[in-house]
Amino acid sequence: MSLLNISNLSVRFGDRNAVPVVDGLDLKVDKGEVLAIVGESGSGKSVTMMALMGLVDSPGIVTADSLVFDGNDMLKLSNRQRRKVVGKDLAMIFQDPMTALNPSYTVGFQIEEVLRQHLGMSGKAARQRALELLKKVEIPAPESRLDAYPHQLSGGMSQRVAIAMAIAGEPKLLIADEPTTALDVTIQAQIMELLLNLQQEQNMALILITHDLAVVAETAQRVCVMYAGQAVEVGHVPQLFDVPGHPYSEALLAAIPEHSAGAERLATLPGIVPGRYDRPQGCLLSPRCPYVQDNCRTQRPGLDPKAHSLARCFYPLNQEVA
Amino acid sequence: MSVVLTARDLTRHYDVSTGLFKPKAVVRALNGVSFELESGKTLAVVGESGCGKSTLARALTLIEEPSSGSLQIAGQEVHGASKAERKQLRKDVQMVFQSPYASLNPRQKIGDQLGEPLLINTSLSKAERREKVQAMMQQVGLRPEHYQRYPHMFSGGQRQRIALARAMMLQPKVLVADEPTSALDVSIQAQVLNLFMDLQQEYQTAYVFISHNLAVVRHVADDVLVMYLGRPAEMGPKEDLYTRPLHPYTQALLSATPTLKPDPLKPKIKIVGELPNPLNPPSGCAFHKRCPYATQRCSDEIPEFRKVDTRQVACHYAEQFL
Amino acid sequence: MSTPTPAVAVDQSLLYPSPYKEFWQAFAKNKGAVAGLLFMILIVFCALFAPWVAPHDPSEQFREALLTPPAWLEGGQWQYLLGTDELGRDLLSRLIHGSRLSLLIGLSSVVMSLIPGIFLGLIAGFFPRVMGPSIMRLMDVMLALPSLLLAVAIVAILGPGLINTVIAIAVVSLPSYVRLTRAAVMGELNRDYVTAARLAGASLPRLMFVTVLPNCMAPLIVQATLSFSSAILDAAALGFLGLGVQPPTPEWGTMLASARDYIERAWWVVSLPGLTILLSVLAINLMGDGLRDALDPKLKNAA
Repeated sequence: MSLLNISNLSVRFGDRNAVPVVDGLDLKVDKGEVLAIVGESGSGKSVTMMALMGLVDSPGIVTADSLVFDGNDMLKLSNRQRRKVVGKDLAMIFQDPMTALNPSYTVGFQIEEVLRQHLGMSGKAARQRALELLKKVEIPAPESRLDAYPHQLSGGMSQRVAIAMAIAGEPKLLIADEPTTALDVTIQAQIMELLLNLQQEQNMALILITHDLAVVAETAQRVCVMYAGQAVEVGHVPQLFDVPGHPYSEALLAAIPEHSAGAERLATLPGIVPGRYDRPQGCLLSPRCPYVQDNCRTQRPGLDPKAHSLARCFYPLNQEVA
Repeated sequence: MSVVLTARDLTRHYDVSTGLFKPKAVVRALNGVSFELESGKTLAVVGESGCGKSTLARALTLIEEPSSGSLQIAGQEVHGASKAERKQLRKDVQMVFQSPYASLNPRQKIGDQLGEPLLINTSLSKAERREKVQAMMQQVGLRPEHYQRYPHMFSGGQRQRIALARAMMLQPKVLVADEPTSALDVSIQAQVLNLFMDLQQEYQTAYVFISHNLAVVRHVADDVLVMYLGRPAEMGPKEDLYTRPLHPYTQALLSATPTLKPDPLKPKIKIVGELPNPLNPPSGCAFHKRCPYATQRCSDEIPEFRKVDTRQVACHYAEQFL
Repeated sequence: MSTPTPAVAVDQSLLYPSPYKEFWQAFAKNKGAVAGLLFMILIVFCALFAPWVAPHDPSEQFREALLTPPAWLEGGQWQYLLGTDELGRDLLSRLIHGSRLSLLIGLSSVVMSLIPGIFLGLIAGFFPRVMGPSIMRLMDVMLALPSLLLAVAIVAILGPGLINTVIAIAVVSLPSYVRLTRAAVMGELNRDYVTAARLAGASLPRLMFVTVLPNCMAPLIVQATLSFSSAILDAAALGFLGLGVQPPTPEWGTMLASARDYIERAWWVVSLPGLTILLSVLAINLMGDGLRDALDPKLKNAA
């Protein structure tokens, strides 16, 4: 029984006929697993998680065959029931730590707010627990930080506070949306290590949303590659990078400078991600795919098991005997 | 290969008021940087926030005058240059900025923006300017119809191309690129980096490429300068620096950079702590508080930036890493 | 030399409508703004073609028809559609001719305060160390005085009349333009494209007027529209106090003033000019709101 089971999730802005930002997404996450969702801008990776948390406001329309987290049908929850789950069992940290914290309240107050809301703690007990959480996220001099305001903290420290707030409710699933993109390299390494340690310690599932494939290679067990709102490949980590099945995964790998070490030019796909006005009839990658065939332009492939992974392609690369 | 830029001991200090009656504190944003740049070559400047790379960029592009030190561009000394000489200097150094969204004037057609450097600095006729602009647009992969368009109609990658085209209009000898691809998606980054390399090939421009992304730097640079808290830590040819870094900070940066093929045998160098406060820098070597190899000498004595093997390093114990 | 392939399929940037069309589409979504615009077009039409549109001469006194009620009331005549005032002058003609004056006052006072306001604001923004604070302190002094009192004081010094009214209103609205411009300029100066223009060698005048100013226009346009309406109100107030335009010139506020005594006997002589002022101000404000909504989001997108 998976912890998170998403089936045929679609998110549209506008009416039923609007172009979907997330298009028929299937995703499963087990207890204690680390899954990475990789994609570029316009791939729909952040919107997927917002839909899961119920944070997509109108004019957004969320539809899915099933959207089940820990036995709760997220689509059918009332606002009150949702508030019991989100922030406690299901938590999220965001990209820019400086804006994720409320600038008008102290760090201690914000952590205690989570404890109050979800664990019913108050007073001295809450403050004590907040201090413990700060120690857990390895903030130096935690006692003095409790009374600090967010603007007095650096980026790395703010992100640690955000993580403390997220794990305060002892979540079963933590979603991290580009948690280290805004941070310096050495701080990035510290934060990623912290996240992985916490994940292992608390047997927490972790969904890591990122555009950085190298981070995925070092942290995740499984990865889902998204393109223009669809999941185009889902597989296990070292294998997918060694032997990509979908042409887009291959292109993404090829575009990374590290991958073409020594080459004069980086391999690139021509063109850009389809926008609202030019969504292809067939496979979404067909206008740019170097391996495109005729039927690719007219039919949409499904996400089917191929050699090493699930790939949304009629002619996946490195496929064993068909 | 001729030398187009010589920097000797560039320093830039800021006075910062710390309170109504307290004496002013001095922030040494840039503290003695020297290097030489040859035409057609790229020097990458690497470092985290607070290392002084933005200050260096402003000093090199003549936006700010350094507090001390000398800067020579195409043989012309910047300090004390006459008005006419300054005009020539303007044409020799240009810059590309990080944010593709803020570096173009939202209210000006891009054709006009590209023509502006020519309008100000040359006496070409309107038709001649337009011709040159169209030629440059074609070179960077834009279509002639784009001349009439406004910046908000273009994607991030296209805007960076426009910004690059504008910088190259006067065919400067030196181009300072301040994190030009950090805000772009991986595949767009690849396209833009290719464009950078192509233009360098064509015009033999010298690049100062500022970035915090070591993977990108490895691809584009000929030489690399690593900075920490305003001082140079290590500078040398790219391959030597990457395969055998001599400064502990360089080692830490390289170790912290996530890689597609993590080597389980190579342990990550654990770097504790945060970047020091520039208003209150550590004594001696600025890195000693976070360095795994620090000794008493490191805390007492500022290391000299001296020649070791093929490069220059500011570490007392550089030889032991050879 | 090989160049990277540009976008294939459909080029997004060619699908965008021109900025004017984009602006009009955004503006037209706001029904109130469009209604305001239509009303203003009517006023402008009246102002431009007043001698031909108005049924009578505004100063002509019809002695036999003093205080005639509007045509739809008992005792009214169709010759005088909106009735006549205490001197027998046709109200409709006076209102139509009055629109000329109101528009003139509004336009000239806005222009007279906008242009120096932009200059001073640009200087204050570009020279924040010495000139900036001096200019702003001067503006603070002007803002410390209530605007109407200041206008009254200026008119008292210069003497009543149309031109002096315009001058008084212009002086009173100056500080808000200076503040707006300065704030917008300071916001834009930090942006990379200004640095890029400096790097290209742009001279100071070019930086000010070609690079930065067009990007500050949105809040200024909105402010100009709104101060148009307050100019009409200020002129009406000054006229009401007897300090502005002098009778028999048909200015809406002056008409209100001279009809004070007839509120009970002949309500139309007071109410109709008042209603006209109300509707004009409302229309301009609705337009200004629509302008702000249409211009600001675009500014955000472009940023």
